[in-house]
Amino acid sequence: MKNFSHLLIKEIKELLNKQLIISLVFILVIFNFIGNVTRSEMKKAMARQKVAVLDLDRSDISRNIIGALNMAGFLIEEKAGDKEKAVQEVRNSGPDLLVVIPEGFGESARNLQPVTVETYSFLKGLSIASRTKSEVVRALLNSTNEYLSNEFLKKKIPDTDPKLLKAPIKNREFVVVRERQAEGSVAAIVNALTAQNFILPVILMMIIMYSAQMVITAIAMEKQNKTLETLLTVPISRGAIVMAKMLGAAIVGLLSAVIYMFGFRNAFNFSDVDITRALGGITPILKQLGLTISTQGYVLFGISLFLTILCALSLATILGVLAEDYRTAQSLSVPLVFIVMIPYFISLFADINTMSLPAKILVLAIPFSHPFFAMQNIMFGNLNMVWLGIVYNFLFVVVMLWWTTRIFATDRVLTMKLKWRKKKVVL
Amino acid sequence: MAVVLEVEGLKKKYGSLEALKGVSFKVEEGEIFGLIGPNGAGKTTTLRIISTLLTPSDGRVTFLGFDLKKNPEKFREKISYLPEEAGAYRNMKGIDYLNFMAKFYAGDEAKASEYVERAVTISGLGERLKDKAGTYSKGMTRKLLLARALMTRPALAILDEPTSGLDVINSLEVREMIKGFSREGVAVLLSSHNMLEVEFLSDRVALIDRGVVLDSGTPQALKEKYQASNLEIVFRRAVQ
Repeated sequence: MKNFSHLLIKEIKELLNKQLIISLVFILVIFNFIGNVTRSEMKKAMARQKVAVLDLDRSDISRNIIGALNMAGFLIEEKAGDKEKAVQEVRNSGPDLLVVIPEGFGESARNLQPVTVETYSFLKGLSIASRTKSEVVRALLNSTNEYLSNEFLKKKIPDTDPKLLKAPIKNREFVVVRERQAEGSVAAIVNALTAQNFILPVILMMIIMYSAQMVITAIAMEKQNKTLETLLTVPISRGAIVMAKMLGAAIVGLLSAVIYMFGFRNAFNFSDVDITRALGGITPILKQLGLTISTQGYVLFGISLFLTILCALSLATILGVLAEDYRTAQSLSVPLVFIVMIPYFISLFADINTMSLPAKILVLAIPFSHPFFAMQNIMFGNLNMVWLGIVYNFLFVVVMLWWTTRIFATDRVLTMKLKWRKKKVVL
Repeated sequence: MAVVLEVEGLKKKYGSLEALKGVSFKVEEGEIFGLIGPNGAGKTTTLRIISTLLTPSDGRVTFLGFDLKKNPEKFREKISYLPEEAGAYRNMKGIDYLNFMAKFYAGDEAKASEYVERAVTISGLGERLKDKAGTYSKGMTRKLLLARALMTRPALAILDEPTSGLDVINSLEVREMIKGFSREGVAVLLSSHNMLEVEFLSDRVALIDRGVVLDSGTPQALKEKYQASNLEIVFRRAVQ
C-alpha cells in the first residue's frame, strides 16, 4: 500500500506538469475572453431597443402610436425634417433602426383604409444584436397593429374588450409525465430542462476524454523515456502499477475537466443577462411533474459516471501499451475521442428512446453512452435502463481490467505494438 | 563461493523465432559474470527473463533458492536491473529520481536515505543531481541509472550493456564503479558486445551466439583453451 501511494504520487506529479498547467490556464483565459465578448453582445441585444421615429403625419393617431411604442418598451428618438435627412442622420449616428410615419397616416387609419409605415434597418455587421433587428421590426409592427386594431374595435363595438374579440379561444396547456400532470407549456418545460442540462454532456465528454488521454500519455511516456522496463522490475505488483497509472490519470483528468468546465461555465453563464431568470417560474412545475433529480438519482448517476470513467481508463491503458511514444499515443487516442463523440451528439440532437433497435443497440454497446442518457432516464423514471447500463459497464470494466492486468503481467506489455503499414520508398 | 543464480536450459520463443535454445550458466556470490556475443545472440532476452520482464518458454531459473516462475516478486526484491536503453523521468530531479526508486526497496525513510546517500556517492554527479534528469547528457543519465541499480546493494545486479553509448572517460568510470561493487560482495551479471570490456571486467564469461552458450569459463582459461590473445579471437574460434 505504501509503495502504491508512492507510485500514485509520482504518476500525478508526472502528469500534472508545467505544460499541462500552462495549457489549463490558457484555456481559462480564452474562455473568460469568449464569455466577456458574448455577454457584452447579448446585453446589447437584450437591452431596451432604441428606435428613431420620423413622424411626417403629426396627427393624434401617429402621436398615440409613438406613445404606444414607448409603452411597449422601445426607446424612442424622434427625428425632424424630411425622410432623406432622417435616413442620413440615423446612418451616421444610429440607432440603426428608423420608422417613418408618412403624411396622411392618421387620416387613412381614421377611415379604416390600409396604412403604411416604412422601417429602415441599418445592417452594420453580423453580431447577435444585428441578428435580432428583424425581431425588433416585427415587434414594432405588432405593437402598431395592436394599437390600431384595438382603437378600431373600441370605436365600433364600445362595450366589448377588443382582446376577447381578437382571441375568443383560450388554451390551458397541461403537461403529463407518467402519472403526474401540471399546467404549463410543454415548450417552456423542454426549454427549461435543456437549458439546465445542456452543460452535462460537455462535462461528461471532457471527463472521459481527459482521463483516457492522460493514461495513454502516461504509459506512452514511460515507453518513450525508457523508464517502463525499470519500473516493471521494482518490487511492486503489476496490478498496483496499472491501478496507480489509472487512478493518477483519473485524478488529473478529473481536475483538468473541472478546470475546463469552470472556464466553460464562466464563459457561457448568462444569468446576468436575464436568460435563465425566466426559468425561475418553471421550477415549481418541474417539481410537480417529478422532473427533478433526487439524491438517490444523483447517486445512481454518479455510479454510472464512475464506471464509465473506469471503462475509458482500462481501454486507454491497453491503447497506451500499444503506443510506442507520445506521438503514437496521441494518434491512438483519436478513435477513442470519436467514440465518445457518438453518444455526445446523440444526447444533444436526438432521443435514444425513439431510435431504431439496431441503432439503439449499437449506441448502447458503447460503454461511454450510458451516463449521457442516464440523467434523462432517471428523470423520466426509466431506471431499468440506468441499471442495465451500470451492469453492462461493470462487466466491461471487469473484463478490461482483467485483460489489462494480464497484459502487464506478461511479456505483452513490452512486446505488444501496433504495426503501421509503411509505404515502400523507391529510390 | 555460494551460487546466487542458476540458469538451466532456458528457452524463449517469439512466435516461430527461437531466441534462446537452452541457455545454462551459474553466477556465484560477489563475482562478475559476463555474457558476450554479437547483436541478436540472445543476451538481452536472457537478462530480461532473469529480471522478470519476460517469461521463459522453457527451462528453469533459480535465484537464492527461489524459482522464477513461482516467486518473481523475490527476484524483484533482491535484483537490480539496468536495461541497455534505460532512461530516467525527465521532469524529475536526479536526486528525486533516486529517492523515488529507493523507497520501493527500503522499509523506512532512514533506509531510503541511506540508499540515496550511497547513490549520490556512486553517481559522482554532485550538484547536478539537483537538476532535472531531462537536462542530463547520456553519460550522466547512465551514471544516475547505474547508481540507482547499485544503491540497494542487490544480491545480483543485472547490467545490460552498461557502457553503451558512453565516451571513453565515462566508460572507464562506469567500469570502475562496477568493479568496486563486486569487491563489496555484489554479484554482477552483465552483457556486452564489447568483448574487451567484458574481458577487463568479468571473473567468468559465457560466449553466447544464436541463443546457445558456446562455452564458458574465466577469460584466462578460455584464452588458453582457444589459444587466443583476447576474447574477440576466442569468440571467433568458438563460433567456427
